Amino acid sequence: MKAVILSAGEGARMGPFTASEPKVMIPVGNRPILEYVVQALVENGVHELVVVVGYHRERILSHFQDGKAYGAHIRYVIQGKQLGTAHALAAARAELADRFIVLNGSNMIDARVVEDLLGQKTGPAVVITQSDRPRSYGVVTVEGGRLVGITEKPAEVISNLINTGAYALDATIFPEIERLASQGKHDLPSVVSGLAGTREVAAVRTQGMWVDALYPWDLLRLNQSALASVGDVRSGTIEPNVTIRGRVSIGDGCAIRSGAYLQGPLALGPGCEIGPHAVLLPSTSLGKNVRIGALTTVSNSILMDDVSIGPSSVVQDSVVASGATARAGLMAASGRGDVQVEGEWHEVPQIGALIGEDVELGNGASLACGTVVGTRARVADGARLRGTIPAHGTVL
Amino acid sequence: MCGIVGYAGRRNALPILLDGLKRLEYRGYDSAGVAIVGSRLQVEKDKGFIADLEAKLPPMVGTTGLAHTRWATHGPPNQVNAHPHVDCTGKLALAHNGIIENFAELREDLEAKGHTFRTQTDTESLVHLIESLYRGNLEEAVREALHAVHGSFAIAAIHADEPGRVVGARNESPLVVGVGPDENFLASDVPALLRYTDKVIYLMDGEMVVLTPTSAVVKDSQGTVVERAPERIAWNLEDAEKGGFEHFMLKEIFEQPKAVHETLLGRVANLEVDGFFTEGFTGVKLVACGTSYHAALVGKYILEEIARVPTDAELASEYRYAHGPQERPLVILISQSGETADTLGAAREAKRRGCRTLAICNVVGSTLTRESDKTIYTRAGPEIGVAATKTFVTQVVALYLIALRMGLDRGLLGYEEADRLKDELRSLPRAVQSVLNQSRFIEALAEKYGDARDMFYIGRHVNYPIAMEGALKLKEISYIHAEAYAAGELKHGPLALVGPSTPIVAIAVRDAVYEKMRSNIGEVAARGAPIVAIGTEGDKELSKFVDDVVYVPKLSPIFYPIPVTVVTQLFGYYAAKRRGCPIDKPRNLAKSVTVE
Repeated sequence: MKAVILSAGEGARMGPFTASEPKVMIPVGNRPILEYVVQALVENGVHELVVVVGYHRERILSHFQDGKAYGAHIRYVIQGKQLGTAHALAAARAELADRFIVLNGSNMIDARVVEDLLGQKTGPAVVITQSDRPRSYGVVTVEGGRLVGITEKPAEVISNLINTGAYALDATIFPEIERLASQGKHDLPSVVSGLAGTREVAAVRTQGMWVDALYPWDLLRLNQSALASVGDVRSGTIEPNVTIRGRVSIGDGCAIRSGAYLQGPLALGPGCEIGPHAVLLPSTSLGKNVRIGALTTVSNSILMDDVSIGPSSVVQDSVVASGATARAGLMAASGRGDVQVEGEWHEVPQIGALIGEDVELGNGASLACGTVVGTRARVADGARLRGTIPAHGTVL
Repeated sequence: MCGIVGYAGRRNALPILLDGLKRLEYRGYDSAGVAIVGSRLQVEKDKGFIADLEAKLPPMVGTTGLAHTRWATHGPPNQVNAHPHVDCTGKLALAHNGIIENFAELREDLEAKGHTFRTQTDTESLVHLIESLYRGNLEEAVREALHAVHGSFAIAAIHADEPGRVVGARNESPLVVGVGPDENFLASDVPALLRYTDKVIYLMDGEMVVLTPTSAVVKDSQGTVVERAPERIAWNLEDAEKGGFEHFMLKEIFEQPKAVHETLLGRVANLEVDGFFTEGFTGVKLVACGTSYHAALVGKYILEEIARVPTDAELASEYRYAHGPQERPLVILISQSGETADTLGAAREAKRRGCRTLAICNVVGSTLTRESDKTIYTRAGPEIGVAATKTFVTQVVALYLIALRMGLDRGLLGYEEADRLKDELRSLPRAVQSVLNQSRFIEALAEKYGDARDMFYIGRHVNYPIAMEGALKLKEISYIHAEAYAAGELKHGPLALVGPSTPIVAIAVRDAVYEKMRSNIGEVAARGAPIVAIGTEGDKELSKFVDDVVYVPKLSPIFYPIPVTVVTQLFGYYAAKRRGCPIDKPRNLAKSVTVE
């Protein structure tokens, strides 16, 4: 059975983290979200994958290549304009026959979700799950295991069961996609909802892991889920008097300087340098070539490749994109913060800072809880920031 | 330079040989052929790509065979000159990579003895020589024949009377043995074997190997058995496949952030670079060919600026035949494959002159690494596109590492300054990525300027060799005529060629010669030439003087070659793509040039 993974979208709500890569490539636990999806399929014996790519597709291609390294055989289909999920699936039509699986590349899942879907042997099926914020998703109405309809982002809570965006479908879906496209609807839930009017669509409830990131701070939840299964690996140079507790994965060529305190779960990519007496607390992922200065504390954060945080800094509940650098004394501590995303304000109970790619922060920069710093922004020494700093902006 | 594959096993040899050949196509591809021993010897060969040959092959049955892909050196590419070659009896088939120097004398001698020659190749002399010495034992005949032959070669031979046996030999051309259960392989390079086995034996110069389905016995030139355990290859075949990208070249361009990470991995913090020499010499000589020579030219500026050591760059093909002065500099040899014939010759010449040698190489265990005192591997992973991209960039990164270590050891670089430079080194993968993120814009520029018949690349200081590398990329894959000039030299001649139909790529990053570049840009602008500048992010002035600007991130000036190179790679790639050129296999070129 083939599987289609929809990975063309930008993920505009992810703020600075999708400036130069698609949402599916954001790393959690040091692996792109899409890798978890591929792994869940391969573990269930689904090796023939069609990945629909679009926005910054080179990032996906150069990471996964032909898929052999992941035990899969991947073919790529380009969706030129990202009109919607149904439109994306239609782009893969030439690659598909018989029954096939459709998954969303930006939802982190485990093998159980795929197993539950494969348990439904015939006919169209949709995987549903319980959610603690159903109003952000498509809420499903189900009668005796059969899908009645999907209501997108209902104003009032009618149920806490939502559509996960994981389906088993067959070629009969394509005429339905065309029919709705002529009405200007390009999203897959509308198509499947319409299909349920004429055919029996099974609603398969899963107990497997399904974690979605709607907003950048949700990435920290995905990261925690990812690190739940991190391996205990020691590589590189670990100097004397380093304390390591819990499950900590340390990559090749890392240097952990004396007096550092590492409390797992943690994942350190290859080539990281952790300064003397630095403190790394759960659940933190450091990408490749990350440097943490002396006496710096990092907790529950994602620091992507090539990030450098100077000495005597505090980074909590934060996400820092590739190549961002901070000189000495960065303050990005956690607390209640208001964050603006795509013009809407959100109150987040625990958040540090959200820092974009290649941002440069001068000595002693202090970021209020929930500060968003756009890609390539430059921040001068001693600056105190709050709110959103636009991409390429300069703060004096 | 050519590629050889051999097989002795239980399976039908043909598909295995063809698959192996395709993975060696980068070594040359103007003609190809297959020889298989079943009930008799069958040979099929033709001019053109391997796929063309495959399409017209008759059924060939047999479990022993050899195959060859050719890149012509002696005799034009055609059906007759294609390998394998057969003897007068039609029982012996031979494939050869390299050059037989004394082939003319051998030929005269053999023709006098009544052998009929069909081709103009040097190889055929060897075929008839082996035939004349054959007395029922192919291995002995080959050994005897090789004693009479001078030159560089790797060969594979089969005989109709000895099914199940392939004899191989090497002298100064690469040959590896693949060891499998109940089957054994021979190939010019590891990718041809990887689908079938990850256990290989590297042959040394002067050695032979006899393959049967159950054994691979290595012997020296006297026929004494050499015991050598197979080595395990860590990289896998998928590394060598395109994975969704339209061309290997584009895939390899986009792999550069990862490749640079690999080059730097574990080497920056303490500048531990595989232990090479930093003292005991007064100067450095960088020696290489082609794109690697451009890395050497960049290296001259890097070593002189960071380590303050007098440095000189020279072409390997010139160095090896020149009479060196009395001084004994450290000789740094740069080669992606480690099999480039001229660079190997230069390594031997350096040894002869009493110099210590350091190799910068991408292929582990290659001849250059065995013949040099020390090696720094670039770890770029296999590169299949003929135009070098990630291997060039990682060579330059290795030179930065060497310069830093050397500067510290020679006491000419302070620790504070070294720390600052280390931070810059670590930022290079990001600098590359930021150029890749602009690939759509660069593609649009290639659309705009790609109709030109001639283009000029200009730069100064460390970016002058980068202009040369940019022009080379454009020439080799898009076939647009491109020349590079040190910008200060324009007024000494080339300016006469500049006009509205010659677009200029000007490297005008913010460095010590920025103002000078600005006036050079003025010179070409005054002649009406359209100008694409490569400038530093935040430079708001530049766009007023030129037609288009591609911005690279701000770095210490000495590090600009890395992102600037990536701009020129993408420009060259997209210019070639819109012209429909065979980007991964440009005409008349081969990946590693293992002949002089």
